[in-house]
Amino acid sequence: MTRPLACLVAAALTFAQPAPALAYLKFGVPVRGQQVTVKWAQTPVRYFVSTSSVPGVTSTDFQGAVSRAFATWQAVPTASISYQFAGVTAASPGSDDGSSVLGFRSRPDLDRVLASTNFLIDTATGALIESDIFFNSAFPWSVAAAGESGRYDVESIALHEIGHFSGLGHSALGETELVSGGRRVLSAEAVMFPIAFTAGSISARTLKADDIAGISDLYPDGDFTTDGSLSGRVTKDGQPIFGAHVVAFNPASGAMVGSFSLNAQGQFSIGGLSPGPYVVRAEPIDDADVDSFFDATRNVDIDFRVVFLDRVVVVPRGGDSGEVAITVVRK
Amino acid sequence: MIRSWIVALPLCAALLQAAPACAQSSTAAGYHLEAGVGVIWMGREAIGSRTATETTGTGGTASLFNTSSELGGAAGFDSRIGVRLSRSLAAEAEASYLKPQLRVAISGDTEGAAAVTASETIQQFTIGGNVRWMLPGRRWSPRLAPFLLAGGGYMRQLHDQATLLETGHFYQFGAGVETLLKARRRFPGRGVGARADVRAVVRAKGVAFDGGSKTSPAAGVSAFVRF
Repeated sequence: MTRPLACLVAAALTFAQPAPALAYLKFGVPVRGQQVTVKWAQTPVRYFVSTSSVPGVTSTDFQGAVSRAFATWQAVPTASISYQFAGVTAASPGSDDGSSVLGFRSRPDLDRVLASTNFLIDTATGALIESDIFFNSAFPWSVAAAGESGRYDVESIALHEIGHFSGLGHSALGETELVSGGRRVLSAEAVMFPIAFTAGSISARTLKADDIAGISDLYPDGDFTTDGSLSGRVTKDGQPIFGAHVVAFNPASGAMVGSFSLNAQGQFSIGGLSPGPYVVRAEPIDDADVDSFFDATRNVDIDFRVVFLDRVVVVPRGGDSGEVAITVVRK
Repeated sequence: MIRSWIVALPLCAALLQAAPACAQSSTAAGYHLEAGVGVIWMGREAIGSRTATETTGTGGTASLFNTSSELGGAAGFDSRIGVRLSRSLAAEAEASYLKPQLRVAISGDTEGAAAVTASETIQQFTIGGNVRWMLPGRRWSPRLAPFLLAGGGYMRQLHDQATLLETGHFYQFGAGVETLLKARRRFPGRGVGARADVRAVVRAKGVAFDGGSKTSPAAGVSAFVRF
């Protein structure tokens, strides 16, 4: 779900719990008492594009833009997921018909929702059966190669939603400022950051290290097995905390990949990291609404200061760093 | 660079003062073998700066924090075995072991995190070879033999707790002096001596965040046995 300003719980996410696994957020569902990661069991994943159009974007334009976005995810060399255009359809996204459909729908009531993804999941296995993406035609849209002032870029928003479509949750790698009525994004280093850039921007057409690590973790392929992980736990006053955002920064490549402490022990794990030394930073989730990441019932701790770990953490080739202890202090 | 010379020069000076009466010039001819062990110090080496950035809506970048990384200066052990090829030329194989600190200074966090220097210990092994040219003449002292050296070799750097290996190579050039402290008359050419040298070491690859070659100063003192 991508919002121009924020502050709305995505219906598609209300059922989702974070899966206690590597990196970023992956959607998870309880299956027979176990948390199972939501993902496609078979690829290529077939998708349809609806025949609907909006001013400035024909159905053909729309199909071209979403095809480019699918191709961007599919081009990740360390991920195995692939997609296949199955054709155009008169069906609208959002109907549980077993077909994954992308298209426009008019939802003026969702005045902060640019687009949203919902799923049909096999509750016995956690496998995705269907995933639909609707683009809210209440907003102005564009497919112009260089973007168009005042209009949201279909390809950028599609790239974000296809991340959800594939099973990824939101990333917290971004900075925002509060403005009247919500938040404005100052910068982001993940396409999966929950709040969109302002209309006219095409900055989010390119996947970042965090996105690539996320999709590779869900659908590992190729060199991904040589990547390593960095794990540990976050505590405050000697107690583990839930929901701390932990970022691994590679001082050689500049790549940043984030994750969260995701259980009662305050444990986190960041996967998909190139082997090498890393700088580790922990911060509270204060650049987007907590419910953009977690179920609203979760007790997410945001009362602590940003901190850097005072040691360099080495991620081995194909292995884990060993537990890293991060201690944070109250604000 | 300046610091290295400040350290290196007292070493040479100490050697000059300590040189006892030698029964034989250290530059005597002969195709002898020489084995030595000693200590080596290698100076700090900046290995790259990188700013953690995020992308802005206009496609620009916004800084999140800055990092500046270095391999700290470190002392370690050095051993070698050499052979005198001619009156003025020697070849030697050399191995060294040091444990420098990898330090990443982090500053300028946009959300006000305190500046921190994160660190870890690297184990550095090198193996290589040098050619030494014994400078003609004994202008400083009849007991001291000045020389120039140049060489290079292979380098292995092992991260903290041996979790990751990085490899590279190095080149070096420098100068030094050696003296034969004691020799036995019955076996001309056999004896023990001391040596000091200063070098410029160019390390390539290995732990180098910016990917380039880096030069750092080094100095060593050692004792040797000549066979």
